[in-house]
Amino acid sequence: MAAEAKLSHTAAMILQAISAGYVYGFSIMEVTGLPSGTVYPAMRRLERDDLIRSQWERQSIADAEQRPPRKYYKLTAAGRTTLDASRKRYPLLERLMPTEEARSV
Amino acid sequence: MKSLSNVAFSALQRTMLHTASFLVPATERPEWNSEWFAELWHVRSSYADIDETISFQGHCDIARFCCGAFADALCVRELATKSVVRRAHIHGSAAQTLLWLAIILLICLFITSFLPGMQAEREASRFQISPNALLIAESADNSTKPSIAAGLYLDWKTARQRFFLDLAFYHVTPESIQSGSSRVSWNVARSSTNLFALLGLPLLHATSDESGLPRVILSHDAWMRSFGGDPEVAGRVLRVGQINATIAGVAPSGSWRLPGSPDVWLLQPDTQIASDLSRKTLGYVVAQLSPRGQVAMQQSGSGISARNLEDLLIDLSATPLSAPVEGPWSLYEFALFLALVALPAVTSVSLGETHLTARRPSVRETLRRSFFLTGKLILIAGIGLFASCDIAYCITFSYSPAAECLQLVSCFAICLFGFRWALADQRHRCPVCLRRVTNPASVGLASRTFLGWNGTEMICMGGHTLLHVPALPTSWFSDQRWLYLDSSWQFLFADSGIY
Repeated sequence: MAAEAKLSHTAAMILQAISAGYVYGFSIMEVTGLPSGTVYPAMRRLERDDLIRSQWERQSIADAEQRPPRKYYKLTAAGRTTLDASRKRYPLLERLMPTEEARSV
Repeated sequence: MKSLSNVAFSALQRTMLHTASFLVPATERPEWNSEWFAELWHVRSSYADIDETISFQGHCDIARFCCGAFADALCVRELATKSVVRRAHIHGSAAQTLLWLAIILLICLFITSFLPGMQAEREASRFQISPNALLIAESADNSTKPSIAAGLYLDWKTARQRFFLDLAFYHVTPESIQSGSSRVSWNVARSSTNLFALLGLPLLHATSDESGLPRVILSHDAWMRSFGGDPEVAGRVLRVGQINATIAGVAPSGSWRLPGSPDVWLLQPDTQIASDLSRKTLGYVVAQLSPRGQVAMQQSGSGISARNLEDLLIDLSATPLSAPVEGPWSLYEFALFLALVALPAVTSVSLGETHLTARRPSVRETLRRSFFLTGKLILIAGIGLFASCDIAYCITFSYSPAAECLQLVSCFAICLFGFRWALADQRHRCPVCLRRVTNPASVGLASRTFLGWNGTEMICMGGHTLLHVPALPTSWFSDQRWLYLDSSWQFLFADSGIY
């Protein structure tokens, strides 16, 4: 697939971060070390290409925690396929960031 | 208590986001704002100490975070612009053209199905006058005028008939009709009671009447016009001239094609007709042919000899009442034929398939192009049928010569100019993707037609073809020509989504 071959290292990192459980913009920035001016536009393009999908957090959850609701991102089926292909292309991708569960331990 | 610097930095960061948001298209701005301000809240929370103060370095990092909003806003703007470009590519596509034509056709069909005039036409085709019913008149050319005296009819009625099973008579005069408080002037046909049975027409919304009053039958047109098509109209009492009468039913819409255009029939026995009308009062006679009469009609035509009131031998003519009347479909077929015949007079029927290069459309492309043209023509023909019926019957409740004329003219015009548009549209469709070529560019000078090429060039937005249309047809460049663009053009159209 052409989209798989063209995925940049930055986009692959963002996909890997989302796959690892970093599901909103600021957490992806923190884990990848990329600036906001790179992460958010990259996520827009990934969403346009149907590799990731965004979803607003429920207002009731945000109200309970007294904070504004966040926009969460998750991989689509096409995104997972592309990420698998990108991992072959960038073998160190998986080692760049810990999973969210591993970090919490 | 928040420090003054905290408040100032917070205001600065929010101002940055607000400023960046103006780069985002208005439709997407609210969601963009929600996401970025929520993220800002979380970023500030992550930098805040227990007492909610943020260090200067923290404020700088947050400001750097907010700077990223400008890049994101520009990205959102760029993506939105590209989606507009994609929509522009959909615009003018073959599918969109067919969809629009289909929508117009469905709208016309929807309107047609609810027009009272069209419903009356459908009813008229359901209720046909008996084929053995004839109108007897003195002259076949002038059978719409009353020509048979009431006395003559009564004489024929009592005499033994060889060729007719039954005879009916009616005489039309304008009379005032009162229904409730409203009073109108209608054409009242005083007719013999057997008229409708002889014509073979059933009555609509008929009811049995026990009142003993004379019975009247409303024409379909009068029923729609004065009673709004009320199905409960039967049984009401009308005052016809000086007498009260009960509405017995409604005549089907086709029956008003009897000459005299009656609005209401007042059914009277022959004895009443004899006493109400003088023997010389002229009216119409309707006859029902016997089997022997049918044979005689086939052998010797429609001429009849009879004696008049003065006992002189007169020649009469018999006109079948069930003669086919031009319905909407017959008129449509005629108008369609006329439009096809007239088409070469208003446009060239050539589809401009000349090519400048050796490349020729594949069989699949040629078939797609042919199917597209055929689809357009069929849809336009359908629009011609239903739109012309809508135009013709939007103001009339039933068949009328004016409606027929209007339908014929409008159908001819719609089909002729619709086909003309379809051919002109087809000539400007890229043979590869069937999208309309666009961006016309004028090339050359009219004063140099004989020295160089002069005309208009248009390009396919998919980058497939270039169309050359000469401004002035010459012997060496008389028709438009297609130039197929090679693959070196494709990078210009890479984002079009057509490849």
